[in-house]
Amino acid sequence: MAASNAAATRRKKRNGKPFSKLFVAIHVLIVLLPISVIAVWACADRWQWPLLLPEEFSMRGIEEVLFSSNGQGLAVMGQSIAIAFAVAVLTTIVAAMAARAICNYTWVGRNAYSFLLVVPFLIPTTVFAMGVQVLFIHAGIARTVFGVILAHSICALPYAVTIMIDVTRAAGTRLEDAARTLGAGPLRSFVSTTLPALMPGILSSISMSYILSFSQYFLTLLIGGGAVRTFATVMFPYLSGGDRTIAAAYGISFILATFVVFLIFEWLLRRFGLGKRTDLYG
Amino acid sequence: MLKIPRKTRRAIAPYALALPGAVLLFIFFYGVINGVFQGFGIMPFLGRIEFTLDYYIEAFTRSDLSSSIVYSLYLSAVSAVLAIIGGVAISAVMTRARTSRLTRLVNIQIPIMTMHSLVALAVICLFTGSGLFPRLLYHLGIVSDPNTFVSVVGASSGWGIILVYLWKEIPFVAFCTVTIMANISDSLGEAAATLGANPLKTFFTVTLPLCKGAIVKAFLIVFTFAFGSYEVPFLLGPTLPKAMPVLAYIEFQDPDIINRCYAMALNGIMVLICSLFALVYFIVLQRERKGRM
Repeated sequence: MAASNAAATRRKKRNGKPFSKLFVAIHVLIVLLPISVIAVWACADRWQWPLLLPEEFSMRGIEEVLFSSNGQGLAVMGQSIAIAFAVAVLTTIVAAMAARAICNYTWVGRNAYSFLLVVPFLIPTTVFAMGVQVLFIHAGIARTVFGVILAHSICALPYAVTIMIDVTRAAGTRLEDAARTLGAGPLRSFVSTTLPALMPGILSSISMSYILSFSQYFLTLLIGGGAVRTFATVMFPYLSGGDRTIAAAYGISFILATFVVFLIFEWLLRRFGLGKRTDLYG
Repeated sequence: MLKIPRKTRRAIAPYALALPGAVLLFIFFYGVINGVFQGFGIMPFLGRIEFTLDYYIEAFTRSDLSSSIVYSLYLSAVSAVLAIIGGVAISAVMTRARTSRLTRLVNIQIPIMTMHSLVALAVICLFTGSGLFPRLLYHLGIVSDPNTFVSVVGASSGWGIILVYLWKEIPFVAFCTVTIMANISDSLGEAAATLGANPLKTFFTVTLPLCKGAIVKAFLIVFTFAFGSYEVPFLLGPTLPKAMPVLAYIEFQDPDIINRCYAMALNGIMVLICSLFALVYFIVLQRERKGRM
């Protein structure tokens, strides 16, 4: 009886799958549609109503992005990538430490601390940006790269902390304690036992913080005040009007730049033989 | 080097580890609270330290404020509810179809990596009067010229804004739930299936309750984000009513610096609304913690 039941469920499962696969396939198309539209627009030159494809293509948009009139396209991209990397590393270190404090120790204020860490999730970035701008100006860090990195890190922190708490809890302290008992120093115990277990989370947190910083417009605008130019702030005026080809060219370069960095992280994950736990990436 | 007893070190360690995070949190709350204070007219750097409710009163008596609040709440509530339903469905379907790594990369990672305003750009390219979608309708003989199609930009229903949030946030919700779901499907789901439960029933009685914590968290993140984000409603929203962050930023940009108090009063109202949600989240979290014990 049980066997036939199991067989029946198996059959049902197989019957259910085409539907699931179709659903996933439709989602793939929905995801790719806007990206391909932007990609086509980036190379479109003349595209009159009601044609479904452009009549003429040109590299005008891409050239504008990379070597714009004042020749700053590549410099802006370099600066954005540098800022995003700094944010990713800083936020991840801070989050890893916070997660360790929360998961491995009992102390007064632990519950309050772990709750406060996720509060930035619940307060809009715009509110934080408008409130903190004056303080940054008075501290002399507005309109500086450092100020922008600091502000971005604050916004990325709750995401990084959530990821790091998950892995730190999963890693536990048993191996590290064992290493300590066997006479290894604190640093060595950590590096050879816990760190490898945390690695997938660290890479996941780095990639999440990187993305958050790279695509931050409003906060960069208010803190950077036009002096710190990133890809997101340079691109935005084109989006809100004006030349759609240039806007799309910025868009597609933006997507490619993020994607390349993401692939590097994926490659690093595999290289270090951490493929088993990459489910953190979804 | 000074020798500190091991016990003391062990007692200090968590505070030392928590310190950098606490510094960042301090700046965050200092910024937010400073903004809220400015809403009460307190701007120490201008020598104004008198508490006043004028700006809040002015904000509340303004005719377009209530419609802005309602509009922002409407946009974020609709986006968050649909994103949760869509995200949980995608997550369940992906678990069931045992999708490949590449599909996950496309379905979840690409939307997470793509900036909101770029999705807005794509929506503009697709659904404005001369966009691709009306062109397609033209070829099907439904639309005759660009002016007959109601453009997505400025539509008061905000369907373009919601569309952008859904495209971005459905995969985000899936990202938050897919790992848990895969684990459940491997262990408990298998057990339920062997015992003869049908997949739909298993999903609603086993999987969904176990994902509740992650779902509530994802809902709050999506809701607050949609409620407080500037770019998308700025690019796609109608002239009236304006979304709250757009309204606040317009006041903030005013050359008259005193006008900032007014922007901050609007921000204060946003913080109040978000705090209510934070409170609900905190209660849910406490209950869950108790439940686990």
